[in-house]
Amino acid sequence: MSDPLTISRVSFLEKLLRSKAFVVTLIVLPGLWPAWPLLRHDPTVLADPLKYVLHHLGFTACVLLAVVLTFTPLRVLFPKWGVALALNRHRRLVGVSAFVYAALHLTTHLLYETGGDVSALGRVFKAATTKPFQLIGLIAFTILLVLAVTSVNAAVRWLGGKRWKNLHRLVYVAAPLAAYHQITARKIFPVQVWWIFGPLVVLEIARVIRQRQGPRPPAKPAVASS
Amino acid sequence: MLIRSPKDWELSESAVTAEQIYRLRNRRDFLKTLGVGLAGAALAPRGLLGATAGFPSQENPAYPASALKPTAYDFITSYNNYYEFGTDKSEPKDQAKGFKTDPWTLELAGLVNQPAKFDVNDLVKKLGGLEQRVYRHRCVEAWSMVVPWDGFPLAKLVALADPKPEAKFLKFSTFFDTKNVVGQREAILDWPYVEGLRLDEATNELAFIATGIYGKPIPNQNGAPLRLVTPWKYGFKGIKAIVKIEFTAKAPRNTWNVMAPQEYGFYANVNPNVDHPRWSQASERIIGAGFLGGRQATLMFNGYEKQVAALYKGLDLARNY
Repeated sequence: MSDPLTISRVSFLEKLLRSKAFVVTLIVLPGLWPAWPLLRHDPTVLADPLKYVLHHLGFTACVLLAVVLTFTPLRVLFPKWGVALALNRHRRLVGVSAFVYAALHLTTHLLYETGGDVSALGRVFKAATTKPFQLIGLIAFTILLVLAVTSVNAAVRWLGGKRWKNLHRLVYVAAPLAAYHQITARKIFPVQVWWIFGPLVVLEIARVIRQRQGPRPPAKPAVASS
Repeated sequence: MLIRSPKDWELSESAVTAEQIYRLRNRRDFLKTLGVGLAGAALAPRGLLGATAGFPSQENPAYPASALKPTAYDFITSYNNYYEFGTDKSEPKDQAKGFKTDPWTLELAGLVNQPAKFDVNDLVKKLGGLEQRVYRHRCVEAWSMVVPWDGFPLAKLVALADPKPEAKFLKFSTFFDTKNVVGQREAILDWPYVEGLRLDEATNELAFIATGIYGKPIPNQNGAPLRLVTPWKYGFKGIKAIVKIEFTAKAPRNTWNVMAPQEYGFYANVNPNVDHPRWSQASERIIGAGFLGGRQATLMFNGYEKQVAALYKGLDLARNY
């Protein structure tokens, strides 16, 4: 009795996740979310509204970065799961979105530190180079910038598939740097880092174990997309 | 006729509008507080009003509201670092709501001639009531407020304890209550929160124990019923809900120094020239200034150099941060 129901529900989710419009909506909504407490006149938020926006954008960038990195291990671990395949259609979209949020986060930081005074930009960047917390964030952002710029099809052709792939493995450097940056943004360990990056770590460990188990009966190769 | 030479921190009549609004509001609040306090004494359990309700507070003319622009009450009481009641700044306001701060006992102990325990209201009476001072407040996280505190000088409390000659430091402790305080069930910090001052810092004219804000009893999230205020130091020195002050011969460790000694020192003096390892301390965001309210330069000793610089003569402030 319940079988057809379950199947129809799963395929509905899969269908939903295949839709680019749906995924774009999921990505854009967190960007609009800060407007809500601002409109509600929450005094904690209004005490320093730009700081609230700054933290929210950085948080969203971390979440998207962690989420996009789960796509590949999900596909390796569950090669027949439609949802995993659907998600892998949007790797570029979600990856570039993580960069866009990181860029907005950095822009907000510059506005926050300079108060809009462009002549203070040099001082802010100089200060960043002397503080590991800020420098690590900046390095993670630079990696995402390079990956976003080379995410276009022309860059794949120009670099060649293998070199492109090696370059884009830098994302595995960017993610722990972003996690470090997020952890050191607070005076105490922020618990949310566990649930943002924890699942990714578990999936990556499972994927490595799976791949070390050697060749398995050939699964249907996933259709390469983007 | 009394001729008073203006001190350097008494700025010009720069915020007249703010002051008028503030005084009006203050007088209304004062009358309300007094009324509620008198009625409350007869009708309601005191705990509902907060300790120290009903004590009038006179503005100390040396630290007037007209010299600085006080931050709105809503911001002061909604943007709090008080990890016992949550690690987000919005949390203490909600989570500390039911915490019982009345009746409250303060203990004076250690190297003193007059060790004692006081009910907080008896203590205020004994010290001759409350005064109001408007101080700058600078957080180590590089933001600042201006707070109209009510309370009494810490020096009065020190005099009451009558320290022995060998007493050189004060160790302040807050409560430890895992039953009622959720945050203390987790080892976020080394509970209970402790802070310390040198005896000469504690008797400096600026050192203050706050019992109120804007003429009202201090809300729980701001450290009811007794909270240390040392405006030339970063905010984390301002230990909240003090239960004990112990006079010691050796410097006590303070909680944030135990947590991260490379980031937080014993002195914690506001100093624009000594950065936090993770961010600059040269400037600060002004709470309540809005999106583009921008920053202002941080002042040495938070603008109280004249009163406190002598305390640190010959001390390397970069090493003793």
